[in-house]
Amino acid sequence: MSIVKLNTLPCPTFTWLGVNDTTADAAAPVSESVSPGGTVQISESAALEVSAQGGEKRSAVMFISPKESAHITTKVTAQGGSHVTLVQVFDGSKRTVSKVEAAIGDDAEFQLVQLYLKTADTISEVDVRLDGTRAQLDTSIGYLLGGSDRLDINLIARHFGRKTRSQITAKGVMQGSAEKTFKGTIDFVNGCSGALGEEIEDVLLIGEKVVNKTVPLILCAEENVEGSHGASIGRVDEEHIFYMLSRGLPEDEIVRLMAQSKIAQIVGRIADEQVRGRINDIIGRGIENE
Amino acid sequence: MSEKTYVADIDRSRYDFRFDEDESSFLGSGLDSEIVNAISQEKGDPEWMRQLRLHSLEIYNKTKMVEWGPSIDELDVDRIITYIRQKSRMNTDWNDVPDDIKQTFENLGIPQAERESLAGVGAQYDSELVYHNVRKEVAQSGVVYTDLESAMHDERYAEMIRTHFMKLVPPTDHKFAALHGAVWSGGSFVYVPKGVRLEIPLQSYFRLNAKGAGQFEHTLIILEEDSYLHFIEGCSAPKYYEAGLHAGCVELFVGKNATLRYSTIENWSKNMYNLNTKRALVEQGGKIEWVSGSFGSHVSYLYPMSILNGEGARAEFTGITFAGEGQNLDTGAKMVHNAPNTSSFMNTKSISKSGGISTFRSAVVVKENAHGSKSSVSCESLMLDSISRSDTVPAMDIRTKYADVGHEAKIGRISDESVFYLMSRGMSEQDAKAMIVRGFADNVSKELPLEYAMEMNNLIGLEMHGSIG
Repeated sequence: MSIVKLNTLPCPTFTWLGVNDTTADAAAPVSESVSPGGTVQISESAALEVSAQGGEKRSAVMFISPKESAHITTKVTAQGGSHVTLVQVFDGSKRTVSKVEAAIGDDAEFQLVQLYLKTADTISEVDVRLDGTRAQLDTSIGYLLGGSDRLDINLIARHFGRKTRSQITAKGVMQGSAEKTFKGTIDFVNGCSGALGEEIEDVLLIGEKVVNKTVPLILCAEENVEGSHGASIGRVDEEHIFYMLSRGLPEDEIVRLMAQSKIAQIVGRIADEQVRGRINDIIGRGIENE
Repeated sequence: MSEKTYVADIDRSRYDFRFDEDESSFLGSGLDSEIVNAISQEKGDPEWMRQLRLHSLEIYNKTKMVEWGPSIDELDVDRIITYIRQKSRMNTDWNDVPDDIKQTFENLGIPQAERESLAGVGAQYDSELVYHNVRKEVAQSGVVYTDLESAMHDERYAEMIRTHFMKLVPPTDHKFAALHGAVWSGGSFVYVPKGVRLEIPLQSYFRLNAKGAGQFEHTLIILEEDSYLHFIEGCSAPKYYEAGLHAGCVELFVGKNATLRYSTIENWSKNMYNLNTKRALVEQGGKIEWVSGSFGSHVSYLYPMSILNGEGARAEFTGITFAGEGQNLDTGAKMVHNAPNTSSFMNTKSISKSGGISTFRSAVVVKENAHGSKSSVSCESLMLDSISRSDTVPAMDIRTKYADVGHEAKIGRISDESVFYLMSRGMSEQDAKAMIVRGFADNVSKELPLEYAMEMNNLIGLEMHGSIG
């Protein structure tokens, strides 16, 4: 099987950082394409599509835990004032390569929630074209990594349309000797006048041997735009620990609560109560095991 | 119809003068072992240096071009003149410097600056230092400020240079570091003994006059424990249609509890490829402060690196980049935390106009042993039109949970709200916009010595007129 480059950074940087791309086996062909409705369990390679138009509201929830190495592609199309919500929960012990490709039209919205919970080895790309005027992207990413988990995320919001908006929020917890690379790019293409893009990543480092790489890019070829990104990476705030210790909580419990609250901020963006409950069960088991 | 606010390109007339070169002084263009041996012989290198040059050439030939950053496809290194014989020996009296060279530096205001505000000056013209001098009281304190070649042949410093030269930036670092190792010429050597605090700066000025030439100066600074130095470098060249190349190298060794401030005003002409490498190694409790203004060059790759190697070592980088028509300036900094309780701070501004491309690129690496380290990065970019480009490419690699790392970046244009606010306080629209653009660069200019802040203002040459676009 041939090896292919994946998760290529739109503007490559210092080679020695090892963030410009990653590699994986080429995808095995998937013969059929399915359109998920409601909640689906993905346990092998699959190609999926979610589309909406003319003011429709569509949503899909995917629990992704392949039994063997898998490639999952998801194509999203939102046109003419429609609204698509996609929730992806990664909870597998096998290598998973995921790609979400989205095209958002005039006045359409795409809400993406991705949760990476104890992923053994996941490569995930999200490539969104904000083509239409006032097209919007709202992405919330949460990750709870432990053991020797590996996660490489490459998220690109390409602003083509006027007055487009993108919001990228990533919050995560890293335990054990987990390694994670998060590459988030806001690309203001010439002509996207009035566009706004904001990206925030907040990482809590708990494990002694974690490796965290954060690469937030803003590419700008348009004058009339506003873009910003911020990142905060570190340990649990000592003042918080001191306060909670003074209230009688043991330190390991404090750290556990902090980790849970970080992920809870992302889980809370999912409207479906049943889905939230199922995710919280997975999170609870994960934190207990660490 | 209202006019858009106009921000002028940098006025370079002060730098665009030139004198004819005697081509017989050129050692030839291109790069092979014959040229490298000829340079080595011309300079009377010790054998170890000749071997280093040849080894660097081998590495250069094997190393690939960088696979990121602005295109340098139009740079043909085989056409670059790598060495120009000096017209005169190195002097310590301006009166002994040849007239055309003396006129060059007088036009640039170097002798006046030496008289008024510097502890010592070095002036390089093409490949060699032509003037070097330090105040008597500075020399008496044990500070050494001389050209690298003289120091290499002085038995008091020869071993120090052999053990430090290209140890921080080895020829294997990248292709142009290897090129530098093979053909380097000129540059300064500074040594500040233990406990000596030099309160007034030293300055080196690099001038590349010859057409189609390269400048490959090497700056080596060693600060012993508890010492202080402010070192300033300036660079310029007249404009030609042929590409010129600057592939200098700066190696800074900052001892325990020592502080080095390294200020640069770079104003190469717009035919220059500025592929410079700067690196500092900071020991326990030491501090490196970089202040950097990038205004010139056709293409720039410039990212000073600070390696915080001792507990409590600190680094600050303050920079501004102004990219105008025909310029692609890729600038930033790299911080490596390699010891506990180290800290780094980066604060940069960039302005893009008239089709100019400005890229902020950075790396913050916190290694496993850097417990208790902190890093903060802040970068802001201002787009003044829609034919320009401004990219922000930061990266953080954190390998310990005992660290706090923060990063923030903003990109945008002059805010309508700010203009409206200032107008409501009685300012005209054009004055309001002029104030905002000047204010954008202010936190960098205030880090420079007064005379260089004025020089920077002169370089920026912001001319505002018109009303809201």
